[in-house]
Amino acid sequence: MSGTHGDLRGATFDTVEPGDELPEITVELGRDYVRAHATEIGMPFPRFTDEEGAKLEGLPGQITPGNMTLALLARELLAWAPGGKVRRLGTTFRGLALAGTTVRLLGTVTEKDEEHRTVECDVWMETAEGDRCVIGTATVELP
Amino acid sequence: MAFADIDRSVIGREYDRLTYPPITVDEIVSYARTLGVTDPIYLDEEAARRGPYGGLVAFPTFVVKLRGAQHMPMEVAREMTRGGFDAGKDIELGVPIRPGDVITATSTITELYEKTGRSGSMWFVVFRQHLVNQHGEMVANVDSRMMQRGRSEKHEASR
Repeated sequence: MSGTHGDLRGATFDTVEPGDELPEITVELGRDYVRAHATEIGMPFPRFTDEEGAKLEGLPGQITPGNMTLALLARELLAWAPGGKVRRLGTTFRGLALAGTTVRLLGTVTEKDEEHRTVECDVWMETAEGDRCVIGTATVELP
Repeated sequence: MAFADIDRSVIGREYDRLTYPPITVDEIVSYARTLGVTDPIYLDEEAARRGPYGGLVAFPTFVVKLRGAQHMPMEVAREMTRGGFDAGKDIELGVPIRPGDVITATSTITELYEKTGRSGSMWFVVFRQHLVNQHGEMVANVDSRMMQRGRSEKHEASR
């Protein structure tokens, strides 16, 4: 599981500005962690639960479900802004997030909507090699 | 029949509707716990009463668990048998899920389209699960993009 947080948690609408970076979170995608959550979300398929089973499907090894990477990005946003509300989160799964590796969750504030007290953010998951395996955008209502 | 031959009338047609049993505290807590969430508003009923929702709520992405009974219409499923993978997901969130909520998921296909890239043609199908609670309030729209390579491509393992 994860993880390390920066010291920028507790974001509020009045304290953030476009260009601000979300605190980086490091997540260890342990095999048991991925297996447990994949099972929890009703996706106990070999590619998500078993190294050998994944290889039999032609994959390099056990992978993290896209739905879990989505959830981890939501976790990043809400760790940054406790009490905030994720209104929208859109992601593109560009590459494999392999179980047994460590990834980084990163993000940037891109816009601020004064009327709705929301911010737009770019968020992404990065492998140890620096590949952005998941990219996305989010709308977050901040306290 | 090929993917390109799928009757486009499938777009927008409801192909599945499922009403789930009431959501339990255990389901909400188990989801948050296995994800590694630490905020008590998703884990602890007592602490959550003092939180912004006045009670326990499901972590926002809990909604992706509620995928309905039938993954896709038969005419689309037949063309996805060589494997496809999850290319992305967009969620729009309304009211939070609370213990006892009865959620109904209705499923439609919103898009079918082709893209041609360096590795050949790729077919995309976008499914939407529209979730409402027992009060008729919108809980979420969950759009999932599945991608499958064109028929001439090597089998692609599913994600």
